[in-house]
Amino acid sequence: MERPSLSAMGWQLAKDANRTLGGGMASIELMRRSFERRGWLDEPRHALLVAVSRFTPGTNVLAYCAALGWLVHRAAGAAVAIGVASIPGAVIVTAFSAVVAQLVARPMVRAGFAAATLVAAALILSSAWALVRPHVFGSRRVWALAFAMAAAALFASGITPIRVLLLSALFGALSPPREGAS
Amino acid sequence: MSLWLLYGLLLKATVTSFSGMGSLPQIRQDLVVTHAALSDEQLSHAVLLGRSVPGPVGVYVVSAGYLAAGWPGAVVGWVALVTPALAAIPLLALVGRWHHLPRVRSGVDAVVIAGAAMLVPAGLQLARDALLQLGAVIGR
Repeated sequence: MERPSLSAMGWQLAKDANRTLGGGMASIELMRRSFERRGWLDEPRHALLVAVSRFTPGTNVLAYCAALGWLVHRAAGAAVAIGVASIPGAVIVTAFSAVVAQLVARPMVRAGFAAATLVAAALILSSAWALVRPHVFGSRRVWALAFAMAAAALFASGITPIRVLLLSALFGALSPPREGAS
Repeated sequence: MSLWLLYGLLLKATVTSFSGMGSLPQIRQDLVVTHAALSDEQLSHAVLLGRSVPGPVGVYVVSAGYLAAGWPGAVVGWVALVTPALAAIPLLALVGRWHHLPRVRSGVDAVVIAGAAMLVPAGLQLARDALLQLGAVIGR
């Protein structure tokens, strides 16, 4: 894995974190694609960062950025990653707060936002597939599908995401280890 | 409302939630119901704005801070938004240290798969909302 410079990492995160609407998972998917394409991140590390971010309180994408930045450049990396991922949106939302409500209510503006949200939804579904793909095509296909279906069923029945994740971690750790694991 | 109190209330909401919008009930309880620093309408505007700008949906906390206390409130909101993310660093170190253990890897795999499974309904819901919104605009 190559190690990008702090500025290259920050610039890439700034671009990926601030060009999607509809939530952090779409941004995370863009980051995964950019970083993997450049050889800055691999699939197992991405999966680890996603797992950590899901267990971190608050906004998942900021936790992902903090962990990614730490992995690459320690404290400076984490600070830069959190800053570039959150400051542009914070500045824009504050400026909008001062003037907006009326602007967002305009039909054409809403249509634009809706179209951008559709793209974000596609990215989220793509992200879900990217995360389960190595398991679905791996040696533990049945195990992975069982976990995915159980998690979806628990979530659909109204159990909070953090409880679903804790149960998954517990049952995952108790299940037979995967082949080839030492 | 003092900025320290505002930070404490927003941080309480962000640190006890596990998704961008998960902090909303606590923020409403504290800022709208208990301290009357915001109206329900203002909070709705903050949420709408949070979903309308690039970046994390949780950024609505910054808008809520601004509407409660102006520019200093926006800064406080941003600090409350990013503070919990720092917890990812010790968590990463902890998981990274034990990740070579088969049972830890298995647990992490299960969390990744469960997280991905829960993304599907969220993505579909987002797509449905967007299509409804487009339909409403086109139908006018």
